[in-house]
Amino acid sequence: MSLVGYTLAIFVIVAALATAMFRDVLSAIIVFGAYSLGMAILYTLLLAPDVAMTEAAIGAGVTTILLLLTIAKTTRPTTDRLFESIDVPALFVVGAFVVVLGTQVLPEMYAVGDSEAPVWSNPEVTQAYLEQTYEDTGVQNAVTAVLAAYRGFDTFGEAVVVFAAGIATLLVLKREVFA
Amino acid sequence: MIELLATRYAYALMFVLLGIGLYMVIASENLVKKLIGVNLFQTAIFLFFVAVAYVEVDGEPGGSPVVPATTEPAAGDLILASPLPHVIVLTAIVVGIALTAVGLALIVRIHAEYGTLREDTLREVRADE
Repeated sequence: MSLVGYTLAIFVIVAALATAMFRDVLSAIIVFGAYSLGMAILYTLLLAPDVAMTEAAIGAGVTTILLLLTIAKTTRPTTDRLFESIDVPALFVVGAFVVVLGTQVLPEMYAVGDSEAPVWSNPEVTQAYLEQTYEDTGVQNAVTAVLAAYRGFDTFGEAVVVFAAGIATLLVLKREVFA
Repeated sequence: MIELLATRYAYALMFVLLGIGLYMVIASENLVKKLIGVNLFQTAIFLFFVAVAYVEVDGEPGGSPVVPATTEPAAGDLILASPLPHVIVLTAIVVGIALTAVGLALIVRIHAEYGTLREDTLREVRADE
């Protein structure tokens, strides 16, 4: 992990903490947008530029716009305090959760980038996708090929989910045209 | 301890972000902030998948699976990150935004019915009915 990576990790943690602690919802939304961008750059460093682009467009873009639309349509509570007060019981529960994960699960994980990790333990699978993608589908980008060709039905199911979510949103907002 | 953090930084970061997201869901009184917490939790899970796919060769990052391997990789030579977790995350991001949209629509509707977005006030209003 480079210096850039560590700086980004600290930036992401600070942005997440600010999102949690800002009392003003508008400030929280804006800081959350910054957090999403930080995460997108972190994904790029971890060799996933496709995920990073989607996260930047959807996480930092569309989510922020939806959240802003929501507080424009509802209320933005005015407050003179900058930060939330700390909820001690919640902090205790969450602290226990993180400590258990950190002490019990973290040592059992494979090192980041370890080629002995389970994703690579059966290299024929990943390697076969990477090598045969172009012959099988005519697409050189392995991620696109898996998304649209090998797992095309899955992506179709995803479109169904988005369609269902659209219908649910219209129903909840009572905007259906044909009723 | 330091060595553990240095080699498993992405997972450590994921655990911290999971904690912050969970804290927002539990502790925030404002419904919009609760939903931001859910989104934050989600991005931490995405980080886990991306970190699992990441691969290094002799301490140097491997290649990204979105560019075709220009040189013929030798048999068993693992140089590109695995594309499969990336695809799962792409699907999850799109499904996540759809769910966020439904949640925000419910929040708008709750505000239209009860005139508040705060959980404690909402409980009082509902108890009065």
